[in-house]
Amino acid sequence: MKNKSNKQKTAEARKEKLLSVLQDHGVNIYNDLDQGKFPQFVIPSRSVNNIVYDKKIRQYILGNARAVRSSRNMSQLRSYTQLAWLAFFVNRLIREGKSSTLRDIYYSSQAFSIDFEDQPESDNIIVDLEAVTSSPREEFHIFPEERSSVFGDLTIEYTVPGYEGKRVNLSDHPDGYLIGPSLSSAELVDTSAELVIAIEKGGLFTRFVEENVHKKFKSIIVDTAGQAPRSTRSLLRRLNQELGLPVVILADGDVYGEHIAMVIKSGSANAAHLRELTVPDAKWLGVWATDIEKYKLPTIPMTESDIKRIYDLQKDPRYQEGNWKKQLEVFLKLKRKAELEAFSKYGLTNITDKYLPAKLEESKSL
Amino acid sequence: MKTYLSKETFSQISPSEFFYRNRDLAGFSNPTRSLYTSVREFVENALDACDQKKILPDIHLSIKAVDAEQSDPKHYILTVKDNGPGIEPKHVPHAFGTVLYGSKFGLKQARGMFGLGATMAILYGQITTNKPVTVKSCADGKTSDEFVMLLDIQKNKPVILKHNVKEATKTGLAVSIVLEGDYSKAGSKIRDYVSQTSLITPYASISFEDPSGEKFHYPRIVKEMPPPPTVIKPHPHGVDVETIRRMIVDTHYQIPPVDNKMIEKVRKELGQKKNLSAKDILERAQKRWSELSRPVRTIIAVMSFLNIDFDGLQKMRIDDIDVANKKITYWDFGESQSHSIDLDPESPFYKQLANTVQGDTLVTFLTKRFQRVGPTTAEKFCEFAKLKPERRIGSMTNEELVRLADALQKFDDFLAPDPSCLAPLGEEPLSKGVMKFFNPEFASVIQRSASAYSGFPFIVEMGIAYGGDIPSTGLKVYRFANRIPLLYDEGSDVVLKIVNEMDWSRYKVKGDPPLVIVSHICSTRIPYKTVGKENVADRPELERELKNALQYLARKLAVHMSRQGAADMAKKRANLYAKYVPLIAQFATELSGKKKEPNYKQLIKMGSEIEEQIQ
Repeated sequence: MKNKSNKQKTAEARKEKLLSVLQDHGVNIYNDLDQGKFPQFVIPSRSVNNIVYDKKIRQYILGNARAVRSSRNMSQLRSYTQLAWLAFFVNRLIREGKSSTLRDIYYSSQAFSIDFEDQPESDNIIVDLEAVTSSPREEFHIFPEERSSVFGDLTIEYTVPGYEGKRVNLSDHPDGYLIGPSLSSAELVDTSAELVIAIEKGGLFTRFVEENVHKKFKSIIVDTAGQAPRSTRSLLRRLNQELGLPVVILADGDVYGEHIAMVIKSGSANAAHLRELTVPDAKWLGVWATDIEKYKLPTIPMTESDIKRIYDLQKDPRYQEGNWKKQLEVFLKLKRKAELEAFSKYGLTNITDKYLPAKLEESKSL
Repeated sequence: MKTYLSKETFSQISPSEFFYRNRDLAGFSNPTRSLYTSVREFVENALDACDQKKILPDIHLSIKAVDAEQSDPKHYILTVKDNGPGIEPKHVPHAFGTVLYGSKFGLKQARGMFGLGATMAILYGQITTNKPVTVKSCADGKTSDEFVMLLDIQKNKPVILKHNVKEATKTGLAVSIVLEGDYSKAGSKIRDYVSQTSLITPYASISFEDPSGEKFHYPRIVKEMPPPPTVIKPHPHGVDVETIRRMIVDTHYQIPPVDNKMIEKVRKELGQKKNLSAKDILERAQKRWSELSRPVRTIIAVMSFLNIDFDGLQKMRIDDIDVANKKITYWDFGESQSHSIDLDPESPFYKQLANTVQGDTLVTFLTKRFQRVGPTTAEKFCEFAKLKPERRIGSMTNEELVRLADALQKFDDFLAPDPSCLAPLGEEPLSKGVMKFFNPEFASVIQRSASAYSGFPFIVEMGIAYGGDIPSTGLKVYRFANRIPLLYDEGSDVVLKIVNEMDWSRYKVKGDPPLVIVSHICSTRIPYKTVGKENVADRPELERELKNALQYLARKLAVHMSRQGAADMAKKRANLYAKYVPLIAQFATELSGKKKEPNYKQLIKMGSEIEEQIQ
């Protein structure tokens, strides 16, 4: 059993830290107003020019460019007020232990005469606050609609109101547990697992549970439901950082699958302003382009957009070397792709019985 | 006398017949256009008549269907009544019963050119309905003469069907015709015409009753009439060979008609009633020469060469005096024969006759008959034209006349035409008209100083109006020429061209602005593109004036717009800060964990006062 010595503190500490950041902003604004000064926010610029790849921490980060949003500028006054409101509203959400969605935020604003023209505008302000506080929106208790799941021997302790201190083991329910607000804010108490397997598809996730992969490979299984949501990436990171579990990724044998693995490992340009979402040591198990031939998988032809995506990714600094680069080239050569389900050609358990052990073995040398 | 008229004869047609055959040219091409043109001609005549006598015009126009049940085109009774000076009863038949009778030949600005249009309308009415015209005229303020007349088209003569005299109290003229028209199609143009006429004639009261009985009334907006134009001599640049010929003919003294009246005059000036012999006449005339009037001198000079007395004078007709060949040709009634005798250049009377017949010297002709030409300019011109200054215009050859006309056009040192013959509306009446008519949020007007093209003076007046009651349907241009609204052929007009060439965004005007331009061109001759007189041609001089006027007004508008814009912006700022700062304070108070809200009042004030930074 892996136990965390300072387990109680992790989620709570992050919450306290964020609250104090928010309060600092509140105090600054308050003092400015009181002294007849126009308050302003300094926001790291998220323009394309300011997004750079940091090789050291192996993810996209924002450069040094900063934008000032000032209440003195009439054209910024409205968006300034929106940002101040969001900080105020997030402060309430956290203190009251309530969660909300991006859509909720858009509607909640209307009770305060903060007129967002549409949801994209409010979504944008949320990203602004993420950049200002360097915290992902999940910490603001703001969640997207999409949900993914987790299953395995992991005991968590809720911190959400009404469940404080309550513990649950995530292997108790075979369909897995939703990675929602309460799970995201829960403390990770202990686990017997030695590995985290992130898998792209819900169908395969169920198969893995049925085939006792969690026991056979002492693993926690995470369904990313396609491109992993931030809360999922955040959980993967915590499992890796707090519990020291290695993370491996299984995705479809195409360019999108490869990039799902890459985003879990080193983030996306969209979230360059955030740093707590990556698992730099995560490993992409497959399905590699080379696996398609090696395992003689049934394939389907790539579409034009698939091929275009390969060319796009070939420009990304993270795809300039090693296996990442090689697999893109092979995909481009094959111009065909294979889904995870393709292994079913050799029997439903082929993927868990043969492919997974083989790839885990292979990954040790990566 | 030497004339330039050809001796050949042509089969003549009367002017009435000419116009009848060419009615399309004068705007009577179809029932729709004809009804509109007739309204215009009568209303414009009425306004011109009032203008001439400085009477504030009071115009009543009515159009009634003869049979309302019929469908268009049908017969309408068109009546226009004014409070002008009226026309003396004896002139009425000729004024309305013949074509080419008019008093508008002088050079000054007037709405119509020759007063032909009204007769054309009468002619058109008669052709289409075979109904007479009814004219009621009161010129003395006491009696009103009513004439019911038809035109004899072939003979160009009025045929009076009825003539009544009634008592009256006010001067004025009422003309009523029956004509074929199409009001369903012409109606909107006629209503536009009436309303726009009221805009450019703010000193007039105009009412209009349409066939449905609906009444439109445009009351007088200003009580002062603009100063009337004066009749002036032509500018050298504005005449052609034909005009010069006509001027020469009436410049050099014509041989006076020898009738009893003239003989009476000669006797009187000689101070002798009883018969004198030819010799006595010459003796007496030489003694009193300096006291004699010019016609009498001429008659006596002729008598001296023919050696006749008054009896002889009555029996003959002088046909030609050819000074160049020193010959007089005359017709003897007694002998029914033409005679020709030689002039003796040594005779003291020769010079008199030569002067009379040959006319003035070129320099005198130029200074006397043209505006703003002095002796110095005339001398310079003669040099330019390579004509002798002392050359007598009566003896100039055809080639010389052409050279003269050509040089008059080309000589650059003439002064600009005299604009006193123009009658612009004036800035104040125009401004009042625009204000009353459009009720705008902003208006400005300008009267440019006089300019000229090809010897014709013109003045551009322009107004601009923005906002207020003007709908936001984009720029609209109201065109006027000599106080007449121009409603047709807008697209090809020079004013439209200038307006459309403007970069309005430079003057802070965007989108479909509630904007109106009123353009008024005054000239002794508006350079119309077509006979229809609805669109003005793009003369460079005119274009320049229009452009300057428009730019001036656009700048005024831009100032207004930026003032308005600044005021709007300040208001917007104030509103924004008043709205958002309290919200920010509310959020910051809770976020910072404080109880009392910060004192943010000063910030709202500061916010609304910040100068907008130029981005």
